Amino acid sequence: MHIYLPIAEMSANVLLFLGMGCAVGFLAGLFGVGGGFLMTPLLIFSGIPAAVAVGTGAAQIVASSASGAIAQYRRNTVDIKMGLVLLAGGVLGSVIGVKMVRILRLAGQFDLFVSLAYVTFLGVIGTLMLIESLHAIQAARSGAPIARRRSGQHNWIHKLPFKMRFHRSKLYISAFPPMMIGAFVGFLGAIMGAGGGFIMIPALIYLLRMPTNIAIGTSLFQIVFVAAVTTVMQSTENYSVDIVLALILIVSGVVGAQYGAAAGARLKGEHLRFLLAALVLLVCARIGWDLIVTPPELFSITSLGGLR
Amino acid sequence: MRMRGGRRAWVSALLAAAATWWASAGPVPAQDGRERLGAPRADDGQSSRKPAARNRKADPNAPAVAAARRSDDQGADKDATLAPRPARETVEADVSTRTIAVTSAFAGTEIIVFGSVVNSRQPSAEAGTYDIIVVLEGMPIPLTVRRKTNVAGLWINTDAVDFESVPSYYAIASTRPIEEIADPTFLERNAIGHGYARIAPAARSVIAAKPGEIRDYKEAVVRIKQGDGLYLKEDYAVIFIGKSLFRASIALPANVPVGPMTARVYLFREGDLLSTFQSKVRLERSGIELWLYRAAMHHPLYYGLSAVLVATLAGWLASLPFRRRPPA
Repeated sequence: MHIYLPIAEMSANVLLFLGMGCAVGFLAGLFGVGGGFLMTPLLIFSGIPAAVAVGTGAAQIVASSASGAIAQYRRNTVDIKMGLVLLAGGVLGSVIGVKMVRILRLAGQFDLFVSLAYVTFLGVIGTLMLIESLHAIQAARSGAPIARRRSGQHNWIHKLPFKMRFHRSKLYISAFPPMMIGAFVGFLGAIMGAGGGFIMIPALIYLLRMPTNIAIGTSLFQIVFVAAVTTVMQSTENYSVDIVLALILIVSGVVGAQYGAAAGARLKGEHLRFLLAALVLLVCARIGWDLIVTPPELFSITSLGGLR
Repeated sequence: MRMRGGRRAWVSALLAAAATWWASAGPVPAQDGRERLGAPRADDGQSSRKPAARNRKADPNAPAVAAARRSDDQGADKDATLAPRPARETVEADVSTRTIAVTSAFAGTEIIVFGSVVNSRQPSAEAGTYDIIVVLEGMPIPLTVRRKTNVAGLWINTDAVDFESVPSYYAIASTRPIEEIADPTFLERNAIGHGYARIAPAARSVIAAKPGEIRDYKEAVVRIKQGDGLYLKEDYAVIFIGKSLFRASIALPANVPVGPMTARVYLFREGDLLSTFQSKVRLERSGIELWLYRAAMHHPLYYGLSAVLVATLAGWLASLPFRRRPPA
């Protein structure tokens, strides 16, 4: 069963993309990430032009995150106030990021930059999460007292001005760090064609010391809106959002995300983090491999038709 | 059928025009087809290919106007029948589909280029008296070709060459390998063959590049396009069905760039070009594909906003069936 995609200008196997959307949607719901960091490379591997994969990925993230965020909201794991602060920074970062995509693409260094960004961030975050989650799992097994978040703990972040009280996260901190995290993730998300949850969640957990479940819910909440802004920006700047492809991925993705969210609720936080870390490292290795191994074709052609 | 009727009227109108022109032949700017056919008549059909080739070179747009001249061929033939020598062969051809609709069900298609050799002297379809080359070419598009080199262990795009125009699609079908049909000079002048396709580098890239480098990039374009199934070559795909009727089937893959295409037909006998023909094929989006494409290109802001709306709605709708589940 094939369908012609109007913006990608190619015929695609509907069943293949339905399956892809379902699988990525499940993982997205399970870990509370947008799934873009999996979806974008998968789309590119399956022959969708990189520009269209990134643009369409944003639209797909809106939907998969929306359904995931609704599920999280019902479980009362969204800190709305924190989400809005992150969002303010995220929108700014996304606007700069989409402009940057255009500049890099015209210079022919977009693919390289994307790969390096993926390898760097997935590698660092994946390794850190893996180590941390292994310690937590070991501690839980040996029956040792689990190092719970100590509310009295303070670091330099807590000395910044403009302090706000985030009830849901049980935090009283400056608005600057969340806003900076939001902007940074928004920027990287636009460039990497991902919502940026895989960076946002560890940042919220380890930098701001938010509880894991609240970090996941809040991240998902703000990703919906950042991805919405990115979708509109990709449409106007790069003409690269294929709504037909997006709908195929959405229909399958939202269903997968529901089951993912339900499955995630049954798993322990440290197990969830271990699995996410393993997945992140796997994607990192796959992308890094392509950078190092001699490509079969050294030349590549780009039509800048969509980038006038 | 309707199309054939229209075609006949068109041909006769051009015949009339040709006759008028012939009567007032004089300091009219030299036209390729006219001269091409004028020359062989002057020297009684000998060495017709060379003048043809020379004149083609003088007019780089020759293939683009060749179709209109075909009627001149016929006009000339009618004159020629008065002389005691066999009528000159010409080619008449058409494509099975002039307009191909790219709808959501489009998964590639094929175009049949068919035609006949007028005044064929071929005893049978298998005789092989004539050679036909059919070229189906997509619109020219600008391209940037990049080359990776290994920098500190990483494969990075370091060099680039811009091309002003590269045929987006290029298919050749012929009765036998084109190298056997015509000499390289002719193929090059008429842009027949992947190696001779009109792949024009931008001036700034030519100045910047080292000698010989542009050729590597050109070859890369052809290689990549071949890999994508957009540059095709079928050596024995043109088949004679009778002593004058021939057909060729050319595949259009699903990833073929949408836009106007040109079909050119060349008729040869023993290496001499006898006649050419040209027709247009249009590849157009239609239905919802057209509507979406227009929205995305002409109203990107509204398109983007609608995309978000549709996505959110789809996400919300799909989460509805799960609503009754008790919160975990």
